[in-house]
Amino acid sequence: MNQLEQLGALARRAIVNTSRQPASVVPSILFPLIFMSMSAGALNKATELPGFPQVDGFMQFAISATIIQGILFGAIGAGTDMARDIEGGFFDRLIASPVSRASIVIGRLAGAATLGFVQGIVFLLIVMLLGVTVEGGVAAIAMIAVAAAIIAAGVGAVTVSMGLRTGSSEAVQGAFPLIFVFLFFSSAFFPRDLMSGWFKTVASVNPLSHLVEGLRTQVITGVDIGAWLTSIGIGASIFALGLVLALAALNGRLKASH
Amino acid sequence: MTLTHIKATGLVRRFGEIEAVAGIDLEVAAGEVFGFLGPNGAGKSTTVRMLTTLLRPTEGTAQVAGHDVVQDADDVRRSIGVALQDAAIDPLMTGRELLALQAVLHGIGRHRSAERSQQLLHTVGLTKAADRRVGTYSGGMRRRLDLALALVHEPIVLFLDEPTTGLDPNSRVALWEEVRKLNRDFGTTVFLTTQYLEEADQLAGRIAIIDDGKIVADGAPARLKAEVGEPSLRVALPPGADEAAAEAVLLPYGDRVADGKGYVTIRLAGGASKVGMVSRALDDAGIEIEGLELHVPTLDDVFQKATGRRLEGAEEAPAEMEEVG
Repeated sequence: MNQLEQLGALARRAIVNTSRQPASVVPSILFPLIFMSMSAGALNKATELPGFPQVDGFMQFAISATIIQGILFGAIGAGTDMARDIEGGFFDRLIASPVSRASIVIGRLAGAATLGFVQGIVFLLIVMLLGVTVEGGVAAIAMIAVAAAIIAAGVGAVTVSMGLRTGSSEAVQGAFPLIFVFLFFSSAFFPRDLMSGWFKTVASVNPLSHLVEGLRTQVITGVDIGAWLTSIGIGASIFALGLVLALAALNGRLKASH
Repeated sequence: MTLTHIKATGLVRRFGEIEAVAGIDLEVAAGEVFGFLGPNGAGKSTTVRMLTTLLRPTEGTAQVAGHDVVQDADDVRRSIGVALQDAAIDPLMTGRELLALQAVLHGIGRHRSAERSQQLLHTVGLTKAADRRVGTYSGGMRRRLDLALALVHEPIVLFLDEPTTGLDPNSRVALWEEVRKLNRDFGTTVFLTTQYLEEADQLAGRIAIIDDGKIVADGAPARLKAEVGEPSLRVALPPGADEAAAEAVLLPYGDRVADGKGYVTIRLAGGASKVGMVSRALDDAGIEIEGLELHVPTLDDVFQKATGRRLEGAEEAPAEMEEVG
């Protein structure tokens, strides 16, 4: 019980920290929306191409990718906040207390997951206000939000591991474009069926393609548990990998002082 | 038998080729305020980091509150409060939120935590600022909150690493008073590192002076100062005065010490209490003087005696002027 309380307190701190830094929250919602609006303006006609999935418009097609983009933006914050704790000495305060070492990482990831959950809902509500239909209804919104939370925790774990390894918020922010490369080499903003050559091969092996497609199905077709579980599975795999990396980085940092 | 709260034996910490702490032995009794004095880079903070489990010793052993800092690190963490250099406090949170977080990390229940936070906020004079973000606090307020955070779980031993560095004189004195009160009212053992001579003199019942990773002097400040020697008395004579006559009056009170022309300086045997007698003797002999100056040995003299140099930066004024909030 005590460990759960500690975990809850650390997660709460992560959420409070995020909510009190509008400069880091607003861009994670605003920029993906601006990018989506621009893409929708330029690529709306593309939805009429033969082989393009049946959609109301490009926005309905792209909203799932926009959510993932926002999550990537937001998850960087988990890593930079961890690095800032190290830079500012707060990390020392935490490890000088009898709190479980894993809680320091997991608490931060619980905060990232909460932000991802909220981001998922906010993005969907905004595009719905703009006239986009979520075919799967409320159930799909809930399913996408849950997937968003898992993905946010996963990507957050990767950035937290970077923060723990480098102890530098600038280094974590520097890794931001690398993370985005994965999204652009996927089917996030264009259907795989209309791709060709090496790009199609890369997009097909990129797990982010399958992750986005699983969420997209809920928006453009309706609730599809199988597709959702694919997204969840990929998100959980990223989380598992990220958690291993983050805990190893934490261990490395603690050993370095030993 | 006196209970020992901190005991270090042959403690060494190396960083690659550099030996930051070069084999120190320490013993701090329960309820003591122990000052660890030394210049920047002497090894004070490295020692504190080892004693607070943040850094593993390269060699040697240490026990804090009866627990080994390596083998029983969690038990040590439960027993100590730590306020490290630079008051590492999250600027986005409020003072009250940070106290609540610290309480949970130490396993204190919600009800007790709220009560304890309120009490500590009052103790350190931050009740009004409790719900403000720490980013808006002055340096002195941050230090006081840091102290409160270190005390949430009522630690047996409190480590304060240069707690007043960068504070203005008023904030320093206020923090000293808090430390005294803690020690007096709750019997908390305090391990205090400082580079300020006055701070060590004012607060510590016993001090150790560290230089270049080694302890060069250890004992009660008064005893260490007494070991430096008797105070010196400098008599300034007016121009053309008979220096030999003045010397003849002064020599029964102590040996002469070399000084500039126009001054007769003696090592005052019997201590500062003899100043009155010397003054009367000069008056009785009809020797006119311009002034008397008594120099009582300081911890800086203790440091100089042990190392051959003055304590670097020890008398520098604090850089930052802060409003006491």
